[in-house]
Amino acid sequence: MVIVKRKELSLAERLYLPEIARALSMSLRAIFRPKITRQYPEEPLPTNEVTRGQPRLVVKEDGNIACVSCGLCEAACPAYAITIDGQETDRFIEREPERFDIDMLRCILCGFCEEACPKDAIFMSDELELADFDRKALVYDLEKLKRPKSALQKRIDYVYRLNKRWQSSSSTS
Amino acid sequence: MPDLLIWFLKCSAIYGGLLGVAAGMTLAERKISAWIQYRIGPNRVGPWGVLQPIADGIKFIFKEELVPDGANRWMFLAAPALAAIPAMMSVAVIPLAGEVSLFGVDFGNLSIADLEISVLFSLAIGGLGIYGIILGGWSSNSKYSLLGGLRASAQMVSYELSLILCILAVVVMSGSLDLREIVGTQESVFSWYVWRQPLAFVLFVIATFAETNRHPFDFAECEPELVGGFHTEYSSMKFALFFLGEYCAMIVMASLTVTFFLGGFQVPFWADAPWPVELAAFAAKTSFFLFLFLWVRWTLPRFRFDQLMGLGWKVMLPLALANLFVTGGLVALGVF
Repeated sequence: MVIVKRKELSLAERLYLPEIARALSMSLRAIFRPKITRQYPEEPLPTNEVTRGQPRLVVKEDGNIACVSCGLCEAACPAYAITIDGQETDRFIEREPERFDIDMLRCILCGFCEEACPKDAIFMSDELELADFDRKALVYDLEKLKRPKSALQKRIDYVYRLNKRWQSSSSTS
Repeated sequence: MPDLLIWFLKCSAIYGGLLGVAAGMTLAERKISAWIQYRIGPNRVGPWGVLQPIADGIKFIFKEELVPDGANRWMFLAAPALAAIPAMMSVAVIPLAGEVSLFGVDFGNLSIADLEISVLFSLAIGGLGIYGIILGGWSSNSKYSLLGGLRASAQMVSYELSLILCILAVVVMSGSLDLREIVGTQESVFSWYVWRQPLAFVLFVIATFAETNRHPFDFAECEPELVGGFHTEYSSMKFALFFLGEYCAMIVMASLTVTFFLGGFQVPFWADAPWPVELAAFAAKTSFFLFLFLWVRWTLPRFRFDQLMGLGWKVMLPLALANLFVTGGLVALGVF
């Protein structure tokens, strides 16, 4: 058995009123404190290269898409969001996607496609907003997914840095 | 100008003002609660969110009217009106300013009615407000609503006693049941009853919180235990009417506090000020107490029900009685 000794309250504490005045002064000061609300549509969410937003396809400097439609991202995707049909080209790299659809309603932004890609062709962008009046409009096709490499450069650099760190730590063990 | 027209103009101005302030209070409630929690509050409807009350009103009108199964239909429909109307009626006797003349027309004193027993009138009408709440709780055929209504009535009856005893102390000192005469006895700042009756003032302010069912005494509408309380089954504009009544009761109680203890419309250090200044002084004092209602609500936690009753019967009532006894003795001995 534990005997709990209650703290004896002083007269001021038992009267409530001084403590109420203290509480009121606290909430009055709170009124003038800076606000923490973010006015969302006007003030966008802060993003950086670690942000794992929606996947986007890289368009290289020469204007061609980096994807060779190998299908590894399609296989890696746990949500079956990616559908690829390949075709042949006259370029030195012989293949490119004829159709590359990502169902954004299925995509769970896990980043497995980015990890699976052997050609640095798909990266997680910092684009997070997804809204439309039609479900079909949220199945993004090639034209909606293409981004110039410069727009994704920060993420690309980050992924390279991350991979290098893992390589060096695994070589020491 | 005929008397009837003057009376009509005064009524429209004062009741329009009351409803306007009540609408403003709903916005102020949300704004101030937001500020205290480091938020911004409504700011989308109109500049700085000023049209939010109108948007809320339109929303309420378009909501579905529901009458629950087994409810006493006519009682159920009458209860919101019974809650709102008495709260608004008390405003009729509150003196808002002295003699008003506008465009060469003499409007008389700025209040709808100057009764000789306006203190009694405001108390009597204020006491009716509880009927709306308990009727709403009883007629909606729901145990939560019934419990909410019962709690509200128990609380209001207990605190009304202390409230009236505090007013009696002021009445004993001023020797009048006319609110305008009570204001008249507080001409200088130092004769305000807040200095001469400090204990009554504190008890009165606490009792007004209980009378208007505001935090920390808002037992009639406990979300966690009673799923809302007496208005659980209400929807649409009937629901809004309960809140209109609550905000009107707050305005009435704030203006009664000012009238009894803070010199009403008297302007500090300026006797016989012109009526717009008097009205502004009254509005400023009243808005402080309205702010206090919101300020306390977003600061203090709620009492437990037995603590509430204990405070009402074991602390407030004896103190108010003792205060009245001492005041009466001192007045009889001619000290005041």
